[in-house]
Amino acid sequence: MRLARLAATAPVPVFPVAGVGARDAVLDLRLRPELTLVDTPRAADVLLVAGNLPAGPVSGLAAIHDQIPPPRVTVRWGGSLPEDLAFAHRIDGGEDEVVAGLVDVHRRALLGELSSEPPVLPDLDPIEWRGVGPYGQGGKGMTGGTPYGRPLAERAPDRDGLELDQLIVTMGPWLPAFPPGLRLVVKLAGDLIREVEPGPSPLFGVASSPDIFGAALTAPVLIVDLEMARARHHLRRLAEALRVHDLESLEFRALRLARELRPGDREMAQDLAQRIERSRLYSWVLNGVGVVDPGRVAGLGPLARATGIADDARLDDPAYRELGFEPLTLQGGDTATRWRQRLNEVMQALDLAGRAGDRTTGGHGVVESPRGRLAVTEPNPAIRLLGLVPATLEGLEWGDAVATLLSLDLDPVESGAETAAAGEEHAA
Amino acid sequence: MAALGAALTVFLAAVFAVGSIRWLGDVLNPLEVTASERVPFMGGSEPGTHAWNRFHIRYYTMALLFLAFDMEMVFMYPWAVVFIREGLISLVEMLIFILVLLVGMIYAWRERGFDWA
Repeated sequence: MRLARLAATAPVPVFPVAGVGARDAVLDLRLRPELTLVDTPRAADVLLVAGNLPAGPVSGLAAIHDQIPPPRVTVRWGGSLPEDLAFAHRIDGGEDEVVAGLVDVHRRALLGELSSEPPVLPDLDPIEWRGVGPYGQGGKGMTGGTPYGRPLAERAPDRDGLELDQLIVTMGPWLPAFPPGLRLVVKLAGDLIREVEPGPSPLFGVASSPDIFGAALTAPVLIVDLEMARARHHLRRLAEALRVHDLESLEFRALRLARELRPGDREMAQDLAQRIERSRLYSWVLNGVGVVDPGRVAGLGPLARATGIADDARLDDPAYRELGFEPLTLQGGDTATRWRQRLNEVMQALDLAGRAGDRTTGGHGVVESPRGRLAVTEPNPAIRLLGLVPATLEGLEWGDAVATLLSLDLDPVESGAETAAAGEEHAA
Repeated sequence: MAALGAALTVFLAAVFAVGSIRWLGDVLNPLEVTASERVPFMGGSEPGTHAWNRFHIRYYTMALLFLAFDMEMVFMYPWAVVFIREGLISLVEMLIFILVLLVGMIYAWRERGFDWA
């Protein structure tokens, strides 16, 4: 019991599942010393489910719940309780409330005051492993049979002209390295990607409230608010990428900066950019990795500008012209250039916000969002970004592929909402 | 007979040791691993195929580079023996040899021979 009490004073290992509208709030929890946001359910004690989720069972949620070793508890932060985790402890309120709640639930679970949640899924392997012989031996494959109901890898031509095995794996939708809800069906030869296709996301079609960029399509908003939101968006996406590269102190810096940004104050952003440059992340790890086809990036904001195309909806905006806005561009189009471009745009956004005063923009049906040109009459840039995934990732090693994926700034929610709407229109 | 007794003792001791270790394991960790926990974590999805697979690890680029350095060492051993006797000329010869090998290495680098994939 004394050991359990001691364990309860340690940071709470939490596996987060961020639904619609909770991505940034969950990301900010990483700054809290009371919690450790872990990368796998095996390392977690508490499953945190935040944001809006679809009605009915949520794909993958029950499996993740059961992969947390007992004593396990589930906490739902806001929103309705998912159908398959109806026993979750519900916590409403802000960040402080949820952190206090997580610490309390974890302590009680370790001290035995809360009983561990039983598994949701039945304890059954898909199929018993059995070959054709009397002792379960023999048959197809290396040792015969279909091990635990899963067929052995199929053969496919290798790039060296050999016939070797190809693993088909579905990654996501709640892989911590991926944007929440993103599911990829990947065909792997070793750790090399042969083919990749985005799969259906559980967040497709879940209601989301429009952010400030969506709001600016139909009504005027202050430029200072718009540019600060842009800077925060880029910094948070950068923080996610830095976490995947195991640069935790830089990640925390980016996250803190996203919270403490002030219009016109570019010093801290400049300091962060210098530190990342000094980490050699760009030059050693991301240089030349994941180059996107320049013919497919028009209207995709930072992606287009990182390939040298001065493509920006703000150029046609009189309010921005008054501020002397000029789009920044870089040459290269690889992952390193995309992050350099975003950091430059963070500093540009801070400058613009500092000079904007009470100028407004928006209401014209077109706005430059952090992912590119957002227009009432055009498909969301998130859909086109998702469409870039197969061609950009094929042929990359898994590590490079994840780094590239993060630099594309995907959003399964926005791409899904539009896809669902387009599907309905098509059906009509 | 004594040998049989000794063998039997060792056998029984081994059975006891294995049994007690397994019993201790169950006592210390009474939790059973469920089917969900046996599956590798892939973000909530199930694997479509079993993890056994053969893939091309591409040893040949590494093997070629190894040969380059290996030949260098093979040549350097006799060179070290005669270095004092031959003097400066042998040093120059060795530098030329290493330079040639270095060109090969730079070529391999340019061809992305050091990249795993």
